[in-house]
Amino acid sequence: MQAAGSSFKSRAGAALADATLKSAIDRTAGNAETKRAAAVGEFPQFDEARKLGRRIKDHVIVHLEHYLIEFERNALRSGAKVHWARTSEEASRIVVEICRSAGAKRVTRSKSMLGEEIGLPHALEAAGIERVETDLAEHIVQLAGETPSHIVWPAMHKTREQVASLFNEKHASPPASESIPDLVHSARQDLRQKFLTADVGISGANFLIADTGAVCTVTNEGNAELTTTPPRIHIVTAGIEKLVPSIDHAFALLRLLVRSATGGDFTQYTTFHCGPKRPGDADGPEEFHIVLVDNGRTRMLAEGLAAMLRCIRCGACMNHCVVYRQIGGHAYGATYPGPMGSVLTPAIDGLANSRDLPNACTLNGKCAEVCPVEIPLPTLLRGWRDRSWKEGLEPLTVRTGIGIWAYFARHPFFYRLATAVAVHWMRLFRKGGWIAWMPLAGGWTQHRDFPAPQRATFIAAYKAMRKGAPNDNGT
Amino acid sequence: MTTAREQILQAVRDASGRGEHTADSVEQILRESEMLLDGIDICRPALRLIDIVDSFMARVSGPKVGASIDRIASLSQLPTAVARYLAANAKPAAITLQPTSPLLGLDWVAAGVTPVRDRDDGVVVGLARWGIAETGSIVVHSAPDMPILHNFLCSTHIVAVPTQRILRHLEDYAEAARIAGDPAPRNACLITGASGTTDIEGSLVKGAHGPRELCVILVDGVVQV
Amino acid sequence: MEKQSGKPRVGLFATCLVDLSRPQVGFAALRLLEDAGCSVEVPLDQTCCGQPAFNSGATGQAAELARQLIRQFEPFDHVVVPSGSCAAMIKVHYVEALADDPAWLPRAEALAAKTWELMSFLVDVRGYRPTGLVLETTATYHDSCSGLRELGISRQPRDLLAAVEGLELRPLPGNDVCCGFGGTFCVKYAAISNAIVGEKAAAVEATGARLLLGGDLGCLMNTAGKLSREGSSVRAMHAAEVIAGMGKGPAIGEEG
Repeated sequence: MQAAGSSFKSRAGAALADATLKSAIDRTAGNAETKRAAAVGEFPQFDEARKLGRRIKDHVIVHLEHYLIEFERNALRSGAKVHWARTSEEASRIVVEICRSAGAKRVTRSKSMLGEEIGLPHALEAAGIERVETDLAEHIVQLAGETPSHIVWPAMHKTREQVASLFNEKHASPPASESIPDLVHSARQDLRQKFLTADVGISGANFLIADTGAVCTVTNEGNAELTTTPPRIHIVTAGIEKLVPSIDHAFALLRLLVRSATGGDFTQYTTFHCGPKRPGDADGPEEFHIVLVDNGRTRMLAEGLAAMLRCIRCGACMNHCVVYRQIGGHAYGATYPGPMGSVLTPAIDGLANSRDLPNACTLNGKCAEVCPVEIPLPTLLRGWRDRSWKEGLEPLTVRTGIGIWAYFARHPFFYRLATAVAVHWMRLFRKGGWIAWMPLAGGWTQHRDFPAPQRATFIAAYKAMRKGAPNDNGT
Repeated sequence: MTTAREQILQAVRDASGRGEHTADSVEQILRESEMLLDGIDICRPALRLIDIVDSFMARVSGPKVGASIDRIASLSQLPTAVARYLAANAKPAAITLQPTSPLLGLDWVAAGVTPVRDRDDGVVVGLARWGIAETGSIVVHSAPDMPILHNFLCSTHIVAVPTQRILRHLEDYAEAARIAGDPAPRNACLITGASGTTDIEGSLVKGAHGPRELCVILVDGVVQV
Repeated sequence: MEKQSGKPRVGLFATCLVDLSRPQVGFAALRLLEDAGCSVEVPLDQTCCGQPAFNSGATGQAAELARQLIRQFEPFDHVVVPSGSCAAMIKVHYVEALADDPAWLPRAEALAAKTWELMSFLVDVRGYRPTGLVLETTATYHDSCSGLRELGISRQPRDLLAAVEGLELRPLPGNDVCCGFGGTFCVKYAAISNAIVGEKAAAVEATGARLLLGGDLGCLMNTAGKLSREGSSVRAMHAAEVIAGMGKGPAIGEEG
């Protein structure tokens, strides 16, 4: 979360002024965009696969109650303990309580956006429990005292040079050079012992498998397994929308998730965690807790945002978003940035606190085009604008501007007069064919020239032409 | 006072506008969920090669997985194959074996390889249950003779997989795992390459936290897993 | 005007931007539609399709403008619009704006079914191909987002431009990436819009083409305005102008 009081526009402005940030975003998101295109190109079944992905998620959402109960029953049967949390506070409290009652001093955490959403890093710190982020990007973000700026690459906002100086400052054995392999090696050294000495390991879930009660995690680093295997306790926090009927359905979605996220075909480590360590097992946690979190999801279901519950958190929408690519994730001031975040944040944090997000979008549709589960993101964003307008949250200037313009547009006679005057008036400010400045148009002319209107409006010129040549086939 | 569980389920019920589920409706949901996967073939990648073993090998050694691949006629040749890999890659001939009888029973010393106790960042040799041609994955299940950490703490990960247990698609593994038994294992890991990260500037580096390299050795003939 | 037998009766909706700032595009559309064998009428009481209200969340006001436009244009066989985004407003979004109005919804659906973006109408409906056109220049084409993604317009303008002798069309890297216009977005979030259009202008400039073409005046004004501010000599025009043989006339921001 950002400092209270800073506005979206001021954060965006600061981001736009940061050339290093821009090059960091372009390096990673540009890479992701290219690799995704290649992976989808090599997968001619992609269109059918995404239709299936959408149908699977819709099926689960329609029958969510059944799947929650089914999952719970099977998870309990596997020896897991299942907890339910209505809010982020409740979810964090449950996790902290489990850690406390186990006397945990150190917890390792495998990247989970839901953990960020419920404020888990802060809750653990407030409880005096040492938190070790194990995903490389989350490790970077933790060392820097920041929050993630992307849901797949939380440290997207950092260049290798910035990571190198951070590691030089914070790692016991600093990296040998600024090269990316040396930076990765430095983090590996720093984290290895911490994995093995944690009391609790916390992960999220990419999927919850209803018919076995298993939890699926995917990583390329292998940090989920290193986080969840050595400690005595494994806690999973997961949103209730993560359910799928079976492992087969999870596979259908994994084909979409990985290609859309990183452009790989399959993650290096795809693991299904089912219950605690079995009798005789060589390793594994003695306790396995699953915290099922609502935090606004049932409200989304009730309020016309069910399609958003399809989201599998691949991040493709933000990688392809022209706005995200300019301002990065932090400017959004919320857990989830980019197009999907601009739909989710008003549902989670309230529209009054986030009305800028659904508005700060050109509705160009690229996000929906690349979404692997066909979420109509522009439609949902426009839905929030509609609600913001109805609730009176839009600024007076916008309401007045749209109101005056719509009045004229509804009264063609006055509209003709007004446009004639406008053309005349605008032409007063022209130099050659361009207008470099005119009153009330600062938003445009501050950055670009405005083409001076031609002498008369089209309708006026058309009328004049028809008068001159009654036979209007003469063009 | 109602619990969080009841409140969440009630909210879901209210939003969906339906009543309690009956046995009939549960049957119907199950049927629907199965029907979704009818015709899965048009939603998954076709194998590039006709033979699934060839496909698996091409996938494992291809750029997406980036592992080494070898193939031997029987399990008894595994020590020699491991020794060959280690020599070719200038690795010390000391390995940690997965504590499973088919591997423990092999003559490692004759091949010039020394089994050692758990060594962080060393070479681990294990035996996978299945291989999946579609993705080039190998599958391990947690068990008394399969410590999951073995697969993650090493620097060089060598895995033998029986040729007979190469499956075509991910769904074929799901089916095989179901047949293998209930309950599901604590951990089922699909391993598809060495540990990697693209977290810094999107550039791929191997050996993030786990293995820096993966070597898959196909074993023909009968192997007990 | 009497209906000429055999000719489809087309209502031209010029769009408020063309009306106000570049009538030339409206006249290009007229010429093209007539050349493609249509009987064209321009309802003189037309104003705006309501998109700025709709995209600002003022759905009620958008719905009123939708009803007005439906009333004005439903007598025609076809409604043709020289803009992908305004055409998409009518074709795709009127049914959303009027979703709660059972009396008007069927009329919105009927109008949607016969509404076309100009170049799509020329190619897909009329099978039109211009003849005798010559324009010696290099150009590049930006695909405006609404036309591209909501109406599937991509090939049509290129097919038409291919008939212009001497015109070399150079590929624009990122041709399908938004230019940052976004209607009211460009003034509500001017700084972000500026950063986006800055990249678009640089990409256009880097093609080395002399002329930027597109199918939406909003995007063209945005990009041309940025190019002008940056001191670029690249000119910009609506593709319809070139296809109608007006390519030698003044470009956007040039005095005519």
